[in-house]
Amino acid sequence: MARKVTVVISQGQSANPEKRGLEEALVGALLMDHNVEVTVIPHLYDLAPGSTGMLCLEGITGDMIVASWLFPRAAHWTLDRGGIKGHFGQTLLESEDEDEDDEAAEAEDEADDKPRVGGRDLPNRAIYHLHLAAQKGPEPFIAEIKRILSEASVQTVGLMGWIGGSPKPDSLARYLDPGKTNGQARPGPAESPAPTNGSSPDNATTGAIEPIRIDETPARRWYPVIDFSRCTNCMECIDFCLFGVYGVDAAETILVEQPDNCRKGCPACSRVCPENAIIFPQHKTPAIAGSAVESAGGLKIDLSQLFGAPSAIEIAAQERDTELVAAGRDAVGLAVGVPKRQANKPDEPKDELDDLIDQLDDLDL
Amino acid sequence: MSGGELVFWMGKFEARFPTDRRYAKNHMWAAPVEGGGYRFGFSAYAVRLLQDVYFLEWSIDPDTPLREKQEIGAIESSKAESALYAPIAGRLTRFNDDLLADPSTINVDLYGRGWLFEIEGEGGELLSPEAYLLHLEAAWEVAERTLKGQFNE
Repeated sequence: MARKVTVVISQGQSANPEKRGLEEALVGALLMDHNVEVTVIPHLYDLAPGSTGMLCLEGITGDMIVASWLFPRAAHWTLDRGGIKGHFGQTLLESEDEDEDDEAAEAEDEADDKPRVGGRDLPNRAIYHLHLAAQKGPEPFIAEIKRILSEASVQTVGLMGWIGGSPKPDSLARYLDPGKTNGQARPGPAESPAPTNGSSPDNATTGAIEPIRIDETPARRWYPVIDFSRCTNCMECIDFCLFGVYGVDAAETILVEQPDNCRKGCPACSRVCPENAIIFPQHKTPAIAGSAVESAGGLKIDLSQLFGAPSAIEIAAQERDTELVAAGRDAVGLAVGVPKRQANKPDEPKDELDDLIDQLDDLDL
Repeated sequence: MSGGELVFWMGKFEARFPTDRRYAKNHMWAAPVEGGGYRFGFSAYAVRLLQDVYFLEWSIDPDTPLREKQEIGAIESSKAESALYAPIAGRLTRFNDDLLADPSTINVDLYGRGWLFEIEGEGGELLSPEAYLLHLEAAWEVAERTLKGQFNE
């Protein structure tokens, strides 16, 4: 029997009719598919720990398809930080402006020999991400969801090989029968959205299944999200941020410890990150908001730094100074927490090429 | 060209830099013009990174005072796009109007008819060709490390 897959629809922050229209079209199209359960949550970036939406997501232990108004990397690592973990499921849906160069570029990234922090404590399940802004109309998303469902229904054996470890008997049992464990793991409190997973097998045979809807209106949040598949734990972000957003865990690994200390609108730490591992999902620049590659497919390389624009470090320091002054503190300019990689080159402070280098991969020279 | 040229290898691409002029750190050449000031154009390094130039526009009018790094226009090519910034402080006196109709002249004759604009200014920060090459080399080591030697394939 095919395992049920949960499709999570993460709503846009505003009640934009076009966005709502697409979200509801997906809900409508999936209602009759008995291999999926549909859960509608508020914008997942805004969900606070312990919120109803988060508890609901925690109750889902099987494979998940998350459709959100976020770049897949942003959505994935936002959930990861919230304890909603899984392997990054490969989706075939590309943004309309993207081309196939992206995958090659990503493979290139991974071929790098620098050690990455990587995902930790990942359960044996995949989380697939669909970026709702990447396509117009519901059809491409429905087609991709169907494709993932067919993949999920046959991958039980393949997945084991892919993960590469030998699963413990109980994880295996959980994996093979997620419905059962979902019942156990379901959050207890009465006000929680309990009737989520595997709610009733009878339902599955009798027409449309109503989606689970989490009616919360969380306040908008602003905080960095670390992509640990890129992060090398170099600590430049913790040195640079003067608002106490970052911390380290017991294993001395960087983490976003106090997300709500972050200054709304300020993306400065993402500019100093040498691996572009820091994502601000709501920033207007795709590279900062978590697009797959440095210059998202189809977008051209920005040579502005090379041609004399202030460097990313200078911009980051300016942004930080603005926030420091707004908070009644003194501006520090480039004097504090500027990345160590600059210190090795006293004759070439903040060379504009530093910022270009990450983008040169795409130049095809 | 009177003074010969220097060569900088961008991987297997040979970027040439005439020694009869000076260079700005933002990868423009600067040739003195009669009556003071400089004529600027892209260096071979910049053009190589841009590749085929499709589009060029200026956001300021001639005869405008400039501060260094002031944004003055934008360029788009087959590979890249960029805002353009004043290489030195001074007063911009003249744009190369021919380029607006056909910016590909930048690719065809970068050190001649592909010039961009003229600025009246001190230009004390402009580099000699030798110093510009050192500037490129210093940055290139970092670039190569990060590029995993791709340019040398």
